[in-house]
Amino acid sequence: MAVAPDKAPAKEAPQGPAPSRALGVVALGLARRFLTLREGSIIVVTLIAAIYFSTTVTNFLSIANLKSLIPYFAFLAIMAAGEVFVMTLGEIDLSIGALYLVTPFAYWKLTQAGVPLVPSVLLALVIAMGFGAVNGFFTAYVGIASFVATLAMLFFLDGLTLIVSHSEEITTPGTSVVHVATFAQVFGAGTYSELFWALGIIVILQIILSFTRWGLYTVATGGNRLGAAEAGINTRLVLLRNFVLCSLTAGFAGILEAVRTSSMSPDPSGSQSDLLLAIAAVIIGGTLMTGGSGTVVGALIGALFLGILTDGLVVKGVSATYEDLYLGIAIIIAMTVNVYVQRVRRGSGRA
Amino acid sequence: MPEQAFAGEHIVGLQTAPDDVLRVEHISKRFGPITALRDVNLHLRKGEVLGLLGDNGAGKSTLIKIICGFHKQDSGTMWLKGAPYQPKSVDDARAHGIDTVYQDLALVDELSVYHNLFLRRERVARPIPFLANREMRREARKALDQIGINIPHIDVPVARLSGGQRQAIAVARTVSSEADILLLDEPLAAMGAKEGGQILDLISRLKEEGRVSVIMILHNYAHVFATCDRVSLIADGVISLDKPTSETSVEELNEIIVEEYRRARQALLAEEAEAAKARDAAA
Repeated sequence: MAVAPDKAPAKEAPQGPAPSRALGVVALGLARRFLTLREGSIIVVTLIAAIYFSTTVTNFLSIANLKSLIPYFAFLAIMAAGEVFVMTLGEIDLSIGALYLVTPFAYWKLTQAGVPLVPSVLLALVIAMGFGAVNGFFTAYVGIASFVATLAMLFFLDGLTLIVSHSEEITTPGTSVVHVATFAQVFGAGTYSELFWALGIIVILQIILSFTRWGLYTVATGGNRLGAAEAGINTRLVLLRNFVLCSLTAGFAGILEAVRTSSMSPDPSGSQSDLLLAIAAVIIGGTLMTGGSGTVVGALIGALFLGILTDGLVVKGVSATYEDLYLGIAIIIAMTVNVYVQRVRRGSGRA
Repeated sequence: MPEQAFAGEHIVGLQTAPDDVLRVEHISKRFGPITALRDVNLHLRKGEVLGLLGDNGAGKSTLIKIICGFHKQDSGTMWLKGAPYQPKSVDDARAHGIDTVYQDLALVDELSVYHNLFLRRERVARPIPFLANREMRREARKALDQIGINIPHIDVPVARLSGGQRQAIAVARTVSSEADILLLDEPLAAMGAKEGGQILDLISRLKEEGRVSVIMILHNYAHVFATCDRVSLIADGVISLDKPTSETSVEELNEIIVEEYRRARQALLAEEAEAAKARDAAA
């Protein structure tokens, strides 16, 4: 179904006259090239979801609704962008939900200690990176499976959040009426703030992944850990710094959301579902769980897909009870299309 | 122990030549309960091609990986061009002019041919350190053409290439480096006769140029006699033969291997007999 609109004209082409046949060949070539993009299938699936909701829900494509869509996917895209690097290594970071939860509290504690707002944000992010370094240390140097090491970190940070916050909801510093200022506008509260951050982070991280040594070594380490080491790459350091990067993005997403909603609640269950959505966005986006191949742009589109789905179901008035059910079905359909398209890709010679 | 007795009989002591570029003295290495190398002495003269032979599991690859800085020996010393040599890493060994083709090739399937060729020696732009892909592509093409191996597309991931082509890329990576000591761990294993011949020609050509010295692990004696100046045979974690190729023959090498098998078999039988005796005693 996803492929039909692209391929239909190309199939008719051979019967047509010469110019239109040439056109058909070009169209087929383009369709093939597009679908063989690592992100091709998820783009198709996302478009289908967008078209579905725009035809069944009035004003789905309105500016107002696009604005309301941003909070559904922007922070997820930021979390997913960092996770892409860890999953490209063939590892997984389960602590990003907990980092998303705890980093705003670190920020709050710092402001309470008298540190100005922006330095507090930066220091809180440094703390988040420190937790990432611990993840990386236990995975790369101690040799614990990342699944287990980051699972332990998840519980540790959830617990830490409850202790630090005394299990109470807290108003995010810098967002009270007195302070409504550039700070809050920049760090999440502005209408497009999160969108700009997400797009900026996606672009920068995709460039790092595709065009720098950092990315090359990440793919090499994920694709062939022993071979990369034999070639002289310090694979442990590659692991460590990508865990640090991953916790940086997760922590930053947490701060943006805390500022946007102007409150932070120490609720581990909410952040756990964000963790799973972020990982879903990464995988739906086309990053391989086995490592060696990843796409940050794909993760953005994966997050967008999940955002459109959640937002669409809400706008459509689907009962909240049914939301997760539909989400589950949609993910399995999206991934099925992905697997099918991946087979086409392998046949076309682009791994 | 029969094993000990066998090794004792055949150990070749430290031999040297005035023009050695590399000396390996009394190297030993254990992996947990397994002794890979017991007491290895080896030397490599400037400009020579040394064939390293031995049964599977004899310790050839371990020795190569110690020289190239991937493993660290438990004891023993190495000398490079007269100076003590103890590589801290693969990078460090490479900085000393030693580069390696590993048995598993150390290629990353997901990366393109040219990224594999330049792995850890990437060209980057300045001042922003983006990968200089165009430059790497051009140089990769040149390096492969020089070797004379036909790789039509250097943009495709190496996963899509044949075993021989992959091996050629691994060899090209090492040969095109600045290294003057090359370690090749079975560089012809996955190759057909024609591709293998090309690689051997390449090695001979490099030898004629006189720039590099080579240690090469080989299994095919025809290759050994065609290319190597000297052979060293590892058995049971020690060097048990070290001769110029001109002074030995396929028959002699075969005899040593056959003898080795016979001894290994005898040792195994003796062990089994002992175990049976112990069982009987227990019963």
